[in-house]
Amino acid sequence: MEAAVVDAGSKLLKAGPAIPDQAPSMIIPTQMKRMLEDGSVADSAVSEDIAVEPVVRGFVRDWDAMEDLLNHVLYTGLGWEIGNEGQILFTDPLATPKSVREQLVQLMFETFNISGFYASEQAVLSLYAVGRISGCTVDIGHGKIDIAPVIEGAVQHIASRRFEVGGIDLTKLLAQELGKSNPLVNISMSDVEKIKEQYSCCAEDELAYDKTKNSCQLEKHTLPMGSCETKKTASLLLTCVITIGREKYNIGEALFQPSLLGLEAHGIVEQLVRSISTVSSDNHRQLLENTVLCGGTVSMPGFEERFQKEASLSSSAIRPALVKPPEYMPENLTMYSAWVGGAILAKVVFPQNQHVTKADYDETGPSIVHRKCF
Amino acid sequence: MYGGDEVSAIVIDLGSHTCKAGYAGEDAPKAVFPSVVGAIDQMEVDDPEKTENNSGSAVDSKGSVRTLDSDKSKGKRKLYVGSHALGFRRDHMEVLSPIKDGVVVDWDMVDSIWDHAFRECLLIDPKEHPMLLAEPSSNTQQQRERTAELMFEKYKVPALFLAKNAVLTSFASGRATSLVVDSGGGSTTVAPVHDGYVLQKAVASSPIGGEFLSDCLMKSLESKGMTIKPRYSFKRKEIRPGDFQTVDIDFPNTTESYRLYSQRVIASDIKECVCRAPDTPYDETAYSNIPMTPYELPDGQTIEIGADRFKIPDVLFNPSLVQTIPGMENYAEMASSARGLPQMVIESINKCDVDIRRELFSSILLAGGTASMQQLKERLEKDLLEESPQAARVKVLASGNATERRFRYKLLDPYVHLTNSLRPVSDTDADDPALTQNCTLSFLGVGL
Repeated sequence: MEAAVVDAGSKLLKAGPAIPDQAPSMIIPTQMKRMLEDGSVADSAVSEDIAVEPVVRGFVRDWDAMEDLLNHVLYTGLGWEIGNEGQILFTDPLATPKSVREQLVQLMFETFNISGFYASEQAVLSLYAVGRISGCTVDIGHGKIDIAPVIEGAVQHIASRRFEVGGIDLTKLLAQELGKSNPLVNISMSDVEKIKEQYSCCAEDELAYDKTKNSCQLEKHTLPMGSCETKKTASLLLTCVITIGREKYNIGEALFQPSLLGLEAHGIVEQLVRSISTVSSDNHRQLLENTVLCGGTVSMPGFEERFQKEASLSSSAIRPALVKPPEYMPENLTMYSAWVGGAILAKVVFPQNQHVTKADYDETGPSIVHRKCF
Repeated sequence: MYGGDEVSAIVIDLGSHTCKAGYAGEDAPKAVFPSVVGAIDQMEVDDPEKTENNSGSAVDSKGSVRTLDSDKSKGKRKLYVGSHALGFRRDHMEVLSPIKDGVVVDWDMVDSIWDHAFRECLLIDPKEHPMLLAEPSSNTQQQRERTAELMFEKYKVPALFLAKNAVLTSFASGRATSLVVDSGGGSTTVAPVHDGYVLQKAVASSPIGGEFLSDCLMKSLESKGMTIKPRYSFKRKEIRPGDFQTVDIDFPNTTESYRLYSQRVIASDIKECVCRAPDTPYDETAYSNIPMTPYELPDGQTIEIGADRFKIPDVLFNPSLVQTIPGMENYAEMASSARGLPQMVIESINKCDVDIRRELFSSILLAGGTASMQQLKERLEKDLLEESPQAARVKVLASGNATERRFRYKLLDPYVHLTNSLRPVSDTDADDPALTQNCTLSFLGVGL
């Protein structure tokens, strides 16, 4: 039986058997709704209140919810049978505290009774997916941004940076802006999320962004039936149409000018350059030539080009260059490169018995994960 | 209380230049950041500053608001810790260091530094982890008590241990007796360790450290007409495809200390890339025709560095060289009273018992950021061979891995067991003066 690879993100959970050149078989949202005891789904009017998010900003916070989610994923989604559990590989975000890792191992062995476990950092796995062992990963996810230089498979913790900004903050920004430009319409967060994915894009560079202040294409978007209310009348309209103008450029720009989000920080390219400067200069070449972008937000049209453009502005000694994924990898690799890397690693680790087995866990306890998994 | 074999103790080393923090038993610290903080006095700035701080969630430029009880007129002060927060230029932000001459003068800043290390870098709750703090070899009783007070009362750590830097370095290399030459950012200290005890009367220290050398380099470059532009003061624009231009931006409200700090960061990088310890004492004429090494500054300007490559590191061995660097005249007096590195080593060994001198000579350990300079080990060995007594066999050891040399204490498994066996001093104990005295005694005591 193939080992299973699970990458639990703040928004989407990617899981599937470890087959490296395919997309994961399950990509499901991690957000769940709490069901009432008698099995009926709660009234949609209050559904926002009991949305449960087990993964917050990359880390697992709600362990009971995580257990339920994994239950669904492993037994229903991947088709495991109780009593015949297989091996599983998890991905960790950057700077995972030791206690979180130990709890995960404990959960897997004691509740799910798996036979083998391995955990690895997402930054390293994303590099494996493009066929490298050294390089710099910029992971722009839903709940966090991680910038991690990796040398020969080891993350340089001293130089890596983690920011608690992500797709979710961009969605909030968009909601705010749409609220200002379309004041009569109340749009729910999930619709804003969809609008963001459909329309957001990046301006070519700062000058082009400034030009959009004066003139830019307006697009009309039709919201689905019953999904919005106008502030004037309480009744739901059949459809409503909103205009989206400059807002769509703002989302992409916010990553390069975080002052749009109200944060005192430099843009993403500047952060990458500073992070790499911290590493000793012998390794700069290696890191810069192998920069990988991953995460859902990266698939925004115009983002990669803008990133390259901004990168060329920095001095030639420190100029990041993006890596092209190999042809045999599926399209949209950026969405789940950590999962693909995990699948590649699983093919190596489990057959060679480098993982944590049930016997190891029984003998040593949860802290075995620190010794066996890097 | 901690029955398991693995006690995830946290090790923190707050140096004069950088703070290193991480888990015990690992081979490198997880968090390394400057131990200076940016401070904005709220009284100076009006409401716009306050609203700016409140609006964004600002999770990556954290600060903590402290009320200074002692000086009411100062009002509140917002502190910014960490290389990321410091890297962002803010109006009126002063860069201050909590440590002066090896002694902590501002405990609020130390508090915010620890807070940053726990909550933002390591992402742990201090209540659950025993702490091991590294302290300077000549720490006063009062400093130790203050440290313990802060740790127990504010962070409520379950157990605490204070260990001397020199002892930790010695243990990290697997020796109980050695002479530790710690050349860090703020100062250079030479301390003999014998069977895990620091021999206090023989400790020697000099104010010449990495930061001093960076300053020398900066002044030397300025005198040759090469100014270092801080990162925030320029922006690169692409006018036409392939044609770049650097535009200067002026920020009138930037403090002098911040500008100096930004320039020092760049100067340190130049020093680390380019400088090498010379094989023989620096001689102006001998090095006048040396080929220049190019270095590209962040703003695209390329500078050439020639004799300075060797002159600056030689200041460690011969502090009076400082007088020949234009712009460093203020330090001439300090430099003349300071002794060179080989002299400090010999002096320190001579103050020790005759019996152990031989062992000390044969195990001289190099530690600290400045000690990882190229060729420093070889030069020191050579100089010591000349000045030491004939019978002594001089051996200077430095860990082969540059990272290990910079961050010495992380291979600290033995100490994990120590923290285990230490009676965990609880919160209530800290209030009882008699017990504090006992705790202080046990800390005053020694590594074992």
